[in-house]
Amino acid sequence: MTAAPVVLASGAALGYGGAPVLQDLDFAVPAGTSVGVLGPNGGGKTTLFAGLVGALAPEAGELEVQGRPAYVAQTDRTRLDFPVSALDVALMGSLARGRWWLPASRADRRAASLSLERVGLGAESGTRFGELSGGQRQRVLIARALVQDARVLLLDEPLAGVDPASAEGIEGLFSALRDEGRTLLVSTHDVQSARAFDLVLCLNRRQVAFGTPAEALGRDVLEATYGSEIVMLDDGDGPVRAVTVQHHEH
Amino acid sequence: MEIAAPPSLFDLLELPVFRTAALEIALLAIAGGLLGAWIVLRRLAFFAHAAGTATFPGLVAAEAAGVSPRLAALVVGLGFAGGVERAGARSRPTDAATALALVAALGIGIVLASDVFESGAVVDRLLFGTAIGLGAADVAFSAVAAALAAAGTVSLGRAWTATGFDPGASTALGLPTRQADRVLLVLVALAAVASLPAVGALLVAALFVTPAATARLFARSVSGLLAGSVAVAAALGAAGLYASFWLDLPPGPAVAVLGGAAYALCAVGTAMRPRTALRAQEAA
Repeated sequence: MTAAPVVLASGAALGYGGAPVLQDLDFAVPAGTSVGVLGPNGGGKTTLFAGLVGALAPEAGELEVQGRPAYVAQTDRTRLDFPVSALDVALMGSLARGRWWLPASRADRRAASLSLERVGLGAESGTRFGELSGGQRQRVLIARALVQDARVLLLDEPLAGVDPASAEGIEGLFSALRDEGRTLLVSTHDVQSARAFDLVLCLNRRQVAFGTPAEALGRDVLEATYGSEIVMLDDGDGPVRAVTVQHHEH
Repeated sequence: MEIAAPPSLFDLLELPVFRTAALEIALLAIAGGLLGAWIVLRRLAFFAHAAGTATFPGLVAAEAAGVSPRLAALVVGLGFAGGVERAGARSRPTDAATALALVAALGIGIVLASDVFESGAVVDRLLFGTAIGLGAADVAFSAVAAALAAAGTVSLGRAWTATGFDPGASTALGLPTRQADRVLLVLVALAAVASLPAVGALLVAALFVTPAATARLFARSVSGLLAGSVAVAAALGAAGLYASFWLDLPPGPAVAVLGGAAYALCAVGTAMRPRTALRAQEAA
């Protein structure tokens, strides 16, 4: 991991005008890696993403991303009643190339179609976004990120509410994207699945840990990250197994 | 009440006053239809209604002071849009705050009016519009509003759609979300002011919300919604204007009643459609 980092935080603090809600951010993510972002509700995962897309300026320190990252929201944060097709949504990615005041070009449309095929939804391009399944909607939003041609993708709980078969497909897509040199930051509450990432970043109003899952996901870190929200499943040797018990607020 | 025989459309078209009103309504159908689509998509219906009504006290004061009512309405309308935008910058403007502003505006307007005017006829005209008192300046202002609505739709439509669909991602897409939304609020306020002479302060929503909401029941795409919304606004406007000349009504209420009926019919129709389709499938 000697390549120049594509996401870099040094002593960064983020907040909404009052006291910082997330501080002590110090990490460097090289290109072509996947990073699991772990933390309890209110721990700062969404705030970190807001800082990375540029919606929040750091109150201290520095937070830098190479290029413009793509943001893939939880699909229930989108308007499912909008009269837009899967292709229309993928096409929104072309707005990021600037010149958003012009109509979509033929090249934009082709890029959107290709991206939908890439995520396995070529046949659904005319389907209304709201009529797709949760997993399909997630893939359409990933297609939008591909049209945007973002090198860094920020994904907010992408597997929440997605059935296991679709989840597997989406995880396969993640590895393919990473293999072509893209960097993925994926927020998740699932400690077990976080072990599959190259790196993990544990947040609880500050950075608790950053490193490979083997280094970072120890008992102390998990307890500092989740507090009373975590239950350890065994006391044996080897990697700690734990689940989080948390309430989802929407 | 005795209902007169329906006048011939050809006879009406002979009347310069009808032609002016028809042109005015056609221009407002473009402005109201296009912006209505965005109003419905972006959930600004209450804002559009309130922006129209908020101008009422300004109109009354302008009549009393002998100032141009259009200028007064423009000041109040844009001021209202600015207030909503500022409130929205901190948090989403609440319906309660909008309702409060709306009721206060109406109340202040009525109190002022009862002091200023001898008869209620002027108040009726301000609240519900008129088909016979429209002049070249009204038409010109509506033409500007329609042109700006079209220009805004062409250049900012994609940004408005993307922001409304997924607000969280719009910053990441590099869209000037704040500025684009500001332009939308200003255009709606401007078009609401343009529609005041014909449909009145209280019934702006008849041209800005009802047609788009009706088209929304059928639209499969944003461009379909825009086209449908303009078509419904034009049809309702034409029918309302005809009814207004026939039955000697102000056009505002005529358009509003027809629009409400059309929406109700279409809503019932679309609600029943999936079930009939299902039944047809079962029968096959």
